[in-house]
Amino acid sequence: MEVVLSLAIGILTASGLWLLFRPRTFQVILGLSLLSYAVNLFIMAAGRLRTDAPPIVGKGTADPAAYADPVPQALVLTAIVISFATTALLLVVLMASRGLTGTDHVDGEDGEA
Amino acid sequence: MTGWLAHLVVVPILLPLVASALMLSMDERRRTAKRVLSLGVSALLVGVAALLLWSVRESGPVAYRIGDWPSPFAITLVADRLSTMMLLLTSILGFTSLFYATARWDRSGPRFHALFLLLLMGINGAFLTGDIFNLFVFFEVLLAASYGLILHGSGTERTSASLHYIAINIAASLLFLVGVALLYSVNGTLNMADLAVSLSSAAEENLALLEAGAAILGVAFLVKAGIWPLCFWLPRTYAAASPPVAAVFAIMTKVGIYIILRLSFLLFGKDSGGAAGFANDALLYAGLATMVFGIVGILAARHLTRIAGHYVLVSSGILLSAIGIGGEALTAALLFYLVSSTLAVSALYLLIEPVERHADEADIIEGISEPVFDDEYVGAIEEEETEEGVVIPGTIAILGGGFIFCALLLAGLPPLSGFIAKFALIDALFRHVTIALSHWALIALIILSGLATTIAMTRAGIDRLWTPGEDSPARLSLVEVTPIGLLLTVCLTLMLAAGPVMDFMQATAGALHDPGSYIEAAGPATEGGGVR
Amino acid sequence: MNDPRYLLAVVSLPFLGSIIAAALPQAGRNWASALAGTIALAGVGLLATFYPAIAGGEIVRLEAAWLPSLGLQFTLRLDGFTWLFALLVLSMGALVILYARYYMSPKDPVPRFFAFLQAFMGAMLGIVLSGNLIQLAFFWELTSLFSFLLIGYWHHNQAARDGARMALIVTSLGGVCMLIGFLLLGRITGSYDVDTVLAAGSTIRAHGAYLPVLILILLGAFTKSAQVPFHFWLPHAMAAPTPVSAYLHSATMVKAGIFLLILLWPVLSGTESWYLIVTTAGLATLLVGAWSAIFQQDLKGLLAYSTISHLGLITLLLGLGSPLAAVAAIFHTLNHATFKASLFMAAGIIDHETGTRDLRRLSGLARFMPITATLAMVAAAAMAGVPLLNGFLSKEMFLAEALEAHSGTILDAALPILATLASAFSVFYSIRFIHQAFFGPPPVDLPHSPHEAPHWMRFPIEILVLACLLVGILPGLTIGPLLAHAVGAVLGEHAPAYSLAVWHGFNPPLLMSLIALVGGALAYGRYGARLNAVERSPLIGRLKARRTFEAALAAIIEWARALQDLLGTTKLQVQLRLLIGTAVLVGTLPFLFLGYRPGSQPVALIDPVFALLWIIGCLCAVGAAWQAKFHRLVALSLIGGAGLATCISFIWLSAPDLGLTQLLVEIITLVLLLLGLRWLPLRQPDIWPEARTPWSVHLRRSRDLLLAVSGGIGMAALSYAMMTRPSAPSISRFFVENAYPGGGGANVVNVILVDFRGFDTLGEITVLAIVALTVFTLLRRFRPAPESVELPHQQQRQNDFDRDDEERSHGDTLAHYLLVPRIIMQWLFPVILTFAIYLLMRGHDLPGGGFAGGVTASIAILLLYMAGGTRWVEAHLDIRPLRWISFGLLLAVGTGIAAWIGGYPFLTSHFGYLSIPLIGDIPIASALLFDIGVFAVVVGTTVLILIALAHQSIRSPLKRKVVAGTQPSPAEGTA
Repeated sequence: MEVVLSLAIGILTASGLWLLFRPRTFQVILGLSLLSYAVNLFIMAAGRLRTDAPPIVGKGTADPAAYADPVPQALVLTAIVISFATTALLLVVLMASRGLTGTDHVDGEDGEA
Repeated sequence: MTGWLAHLVVVPILLPLVASALMLSMDERRRTAKRVLSLGVSALLVGVAALLLWSVRESGPVAYRIGDWPSPFAITLVADRLSTMMLLLTSILGFTSLFYATARWDRSGPRFHALFLLLLMGINGAFLTGDIFNLFVFFEVLLAASYGLILHGSGTERTSASLHYIAINIAASLLFLVGVALLYSVNGTLNMADLAVSLSSAAEENLALLEAGAAILGVAFLVKAGIWPLCFWLPRTYAAASPPVAAVFAIMTKVGIYIILRLSFLLFGKDSGGAAGFANDALLYAGLATMVFGIVGILAARHLTRIAGHYVLVSSGILLSAIGIGGEALTAALLFYLVSSTLAVSALYLLIEPVERHADEADIIEGISEPVFDDEYVGAIEEEETEEGVVIPGTIAILGGGFIFCALLLAGLPPLSGFIAKFALIDALFRHVTIALSHWALIALIILSGLATTIAMTRAGIDRLWTPGEDSPARLSLVEVTPIGLLLTVCLTLMLAAGPVMDFMQATAGALHDPGSYIEAAGPATEGGGVR
Repeated sequence: MNDPRYLLAVVSLPFLGSIIAAALPQAGRNWASALAGTIALAGVGLLATFYPAIAGGEIVRLEAAWLPSLGLQFTLRLDGFTWLFALLVLSMGALVILYARYYMSPKDPVPRFFAFLQAFMGAMLGIVLSGNLIQLAFFWELTSLFSFLLIGYWHHNQAARDGARMALIVTSLGGVCMLIGFLLLGRITGSYDVDTVLAAGSTIRAHGAYLPVLILILLGAFTKSAQVPFHFWLPHAMAAPTPVSAYLHSATMVKAGIFLLILLWPVLSGTESWYLIVTTAGLATLLVGAWSAIFQQDLKGLLAYSTISHLGLITLLLGLGSPLAAVAAIFHTLNHATFKASLFMAAGIIDHETGTRDLRRLSGLARFMPITATLAMVAAAAMAGVPLLNGFLSKEMFLAEALEAHSGTILDAALPILATLASAFSVFYSIRFIHQAFFGPPPVDLPHSPHEAPHWMRFPIEILVLACLLVGILPGLTIGPLLAHAVGAVLGEHAPAYSLAVWHGFNPPLLMSLIALVGGALAYGRYGARLNAVERSPLIGRLKARRTFEAALAAIIEWARALQDLLGTTKLQVQLRLLIGTAVLVGTLPFLFLGYRPGSQPVALIDPVFALLWIIGCLCAVGAAWQAKFHRLVALSLIGGAGLATCISFIWLSAPDLGLTQLLVEIITLVLLLLGLRWLPLRQPDIWPEARTPWSVHLRRSRDLLLAVSGGIGMAALSYAMMTRPSAPSISRFFVENAYPGGGGANVVNVILVDFRGFDTLGEITVLAIVALTVFTLLRRFRPAPESVELPHQQQRQNDFDRDDEERSHGDTLAHYLLVPRIIMQWLFPVILTFAIYLLMRGHDLPGGGFAGGVTASIAILLLYMAGGTRWVEAHLDIRPLRWISFGLLLAVGTGIAAWIGGYPFLTSHFGYLSIPLIGDIPIASALLFDIGVFAVVVGTTVLILIALAHQSIRSPLKRKVVAGTQPSPAEGTA
């Protein structure tokens, strides 16, 4: 499992970064969302991997050892929301810049692709 | 602090939030109401910050545990000398900029006041929080607000500048998350004080992971602080933003500086491994590089906004390399410089627009102007020149005065606090037993930056204010002059009251170097590190 | 009575006066000048009260705490020398003010002028009376500043602007060097206090840092008092109004450097390096100044260069290092001030009354302005060193000192000759000044017809000339005691015996000055006539210090521009590469130093399904990266695939909340991107000039690939290292244990979100709100690019079909086309909404919560939009997203603040259970209210953003391009 997930994170990151370095706004935005997947998984990984132990406790006191670490999950939830928001914003800004500059190049003028 | 006063710590965050939430439900047409509300709130924030500052000066750091859970489980807000000082600085800048904005800027786009207050909320939160993930959240708050504010007033340049700004900051935020995850995976905690405790007892095999985490985190902060070579977005973004926005942004790089100060002393204080030393050297040299770039930019600048933007870089460079060198005296000096330079830059940003408004759009005059005197007086008769002063319109006189004072502040010349700051920095560097080559480099760069500022500002000022043009003098409203005057007055006060202020800074530096009281206040409630 | 506090008055009064003058109306010249004069005289009076004290050789001190922790005390200090100097500054100031009152044109807004002048005077006094070196530097820079303002007073003249700027830059550069020198001095002596430093002379001279200190401080002094090679700013400062020149270049500005040299003379002098540097600089300045003065055609130019040469003379004397030479230096400082000031004023009168200062045009003025002529002649004679005038006495001392052997270097032999030569030069230009201006035939075609100046304008000159005479004839009775105190103060017990007698008998110095006088006179007689033809002074005229300075500045700026392009970039891609590159680097370094070690935790077996899932996921990711450029839609769906893999693995790794949320966010993001996609331009494949892609592109791409891959490897390695380590003792323990008992919820993650770390969530929804606002404000002004305004091909066809067929109305086809899905979606709406509420309510115990609920709700609304179209929806239900957001935020904060009533901190939660038939126990926790707030904000935000985006397509396209026959039709919202 660990190996698979690490590889997955790695590949997501790599392809995200590749897109991030592209000159077109749309590619950048896709790259960022790939990167946020990778980072979210990374945060999950920070809490170590546990299968079928969702942190939903029964009534009464619970034994922490029996559940997956809830903290990273909470962090990821916040992170997801925030990255959703910023992605939306970036999208709108790139629409606006596309509308104003007439190109979808990240620098607002069509340099070399 | 007890009773209702106990809640004062969280007020700088909640007050602007509530106010802007209310404004959202208000109709866009009710401008006066909004102005009154936001100005009132920002004025109130100054008072609150001052009160907090006073109280922590009296009675040491205060921790406020959100949700009444014990540390380190609760998100803890910590008001100590440093954070409250930054709060006060922020609120002053916030008030002056907002005041200035009411001249007309808040009308150049919708929902200005709400966004502005939310920016203040984010900054205050970042200064107050003692929890590393909560810090991330507040960073996002202030960033989101800053995106909105840069775009305020729209326009092509603003849009494309903010496109860069947003993309870079999103990437930086991802790095932030990675760093936090790494720290958590090893220490299992998010509370900064608790982190400090557990780092001091970190297992050897985890060290590399920790340092990697801290380093990546550091990169995220350094982007905010505008370190070379991660700072190219800054001058352009600030130049694109509308004046009051740029003026309040003067504090934004300082947020990064603040966090680096806080964490580097907290996590990698005296009793930490070689990594800290390594990081310090990196800071020192990167800071020097930043200064070089800033100086070059100041000299190369074609517009006042660019001079200001690159000066922001210079000040970041000075602060970072000073942090890298360390030492209590130097820390105190750099805190003084931080306050002084922030105020100065903010004032300059407010001043630029009226100055440029009065001047034509042309670039600042470049190169050699053909000398009227040759080297010698030979043949130099100036009958064509009237030997009679021109009556300077009041506005230009005021602008000129303000401009000169800003220039002096930035160049570190008397009579305002800039001189004291420069003196304190160099003096502190000289107080080291042995003055390393890097120290000399820093001193030299400080001097060069002053000189470059003098050259650039005289060039700009002479061109903008002294060169006679047919353009009619600008109309300058009191609303625009007052905040500039306020900022400069604060700088004057800093100079006159240099003694007590510097004492405060020294105490603050002392507290930074020995974070015991901070950890005690904000750290694990039970002895021996809470969970373990 | 000599209360030290009077010193404070002496320094602060001028500044006070300056502020008052600045406030005076433009026309208030009489008031301004009267005020300034009074203040100057008051200063003189106050100084006088100290005479008894300093005559008794005591040092008056006034101390006040300023920045004690750094050894910066506000200290005023008065001894014999500084007393004399302050007196000079003030009395000369008074005279100049009187002169300026008549010199400045009535139309000139003089209050500003007097404001600057007084401020300058105050700064100068500050230098003189400073008892602390840092404070001295403080006032030093102030003089630079105010001289800048004074020189640039007529800033509508290019010359004034340039001169002012040059003076400022040169002198402030020197000032900074001096400050560093002082700081080093402070480090050596452990104090910045002048008296302490003066007492530590031997220590300083013995210290290793002596030479740097010396050089730095000398840089300050030399730039200020215009020593070669920094002399070039002074002539250009002549662009100032003449009263300013008379003040700055006789008694104050340039003398500040001299003052510093004299003040620190006991400490710094007497070493080899001091002798060599100072003497050489002084000698060079003396000769260069005197030589160039001869060839000036402008009265003020001549005086400027003669000033330079006299400053050089004084510096030279100080450089010699013998006590007698120091005495001569102090004495000549005073004398030069008197005669040079009067000469400047005379030149001013000539300029004022004739309209020109050009020696070539002036002539025979003596018959028009006899009095001025006489005065000028006496002053010039003093400058030339004619006996019975003050200049003669100090000149004698100088020549005598020049004869003394000092160092055993070549200088000893050369000095007497060069000194005589320089004196001859000064005789030469003095004669020229007088002869050209006042004698010869009456002048022709002057701008004004010359006449005598008003009496009060001449009065200052008369006073000064009288001083020249008195000192020259009766030195012992006039200047003697004052000089004695000054010398005593500076030299202390080393004070030498000297006599101020006019007649020392026939001795070598006298012989030398006679040679100088006769030689100068003869030379003028021989060459004087030809000088008017001279264009620039021979030999050194070619050294264009000013040109060099300007060119240097320009070059610096050019280099800076080039360097900036080298060191910086404006491209986003480069910046992102740098950012990621740095992160990868610093992330790797620790492992390079400490080595990379996976943890000890045994690795769980690889589940084939999970592996398969991620093989697909990774393929999607890579595919997306591959396709994003040309096939956006494909890339988008591939990204979706990767996202789905992420969702599934969240659920797999026992994080149902994450899975749910991620899924919902996926949907929303997808819709957003689809909406945005419409506005992007068609992507044509790159056309390179030659058929195949150039190498540069290949290079760049492979570099990007390298960086991307290394980043990926880094992340993989980090996560593997993390996951294989045994989990640390974590705060999560507490959360799991207290979720139910403390937080009243079974779903720990949700309890963390709304309770333990509710503050994060508050921030998070704030971010949502801000983004919504920004998007809203941004899109209000949004105008799509023309070419992307056209309707999609399909819709155009449909609309054309409607138009052609008469019983069809516009948009019908499209409506029918979407009929079935619309029905379904409208049906779904309430169902999804209920589900959303359910998610919200159960969130505390089971996966769900405010955010998930909110997103679901907004998906419902979104479906409605897709079905009915923007117009239809807004006709049927009134959504006020901003209200939702505002309400949500207020509710969330309110819930938190409610805890204050109970005296608990913000966001302290309370909960109980409420049992409702059929539904069962519902946890009524304050947390739930908070979660409702979250819900509201999320709904508001998402809907706002979606609506804002959807509305773009029913906007009217850009004015300049209206697509024919395009009535926007409902469904374009999702085009």
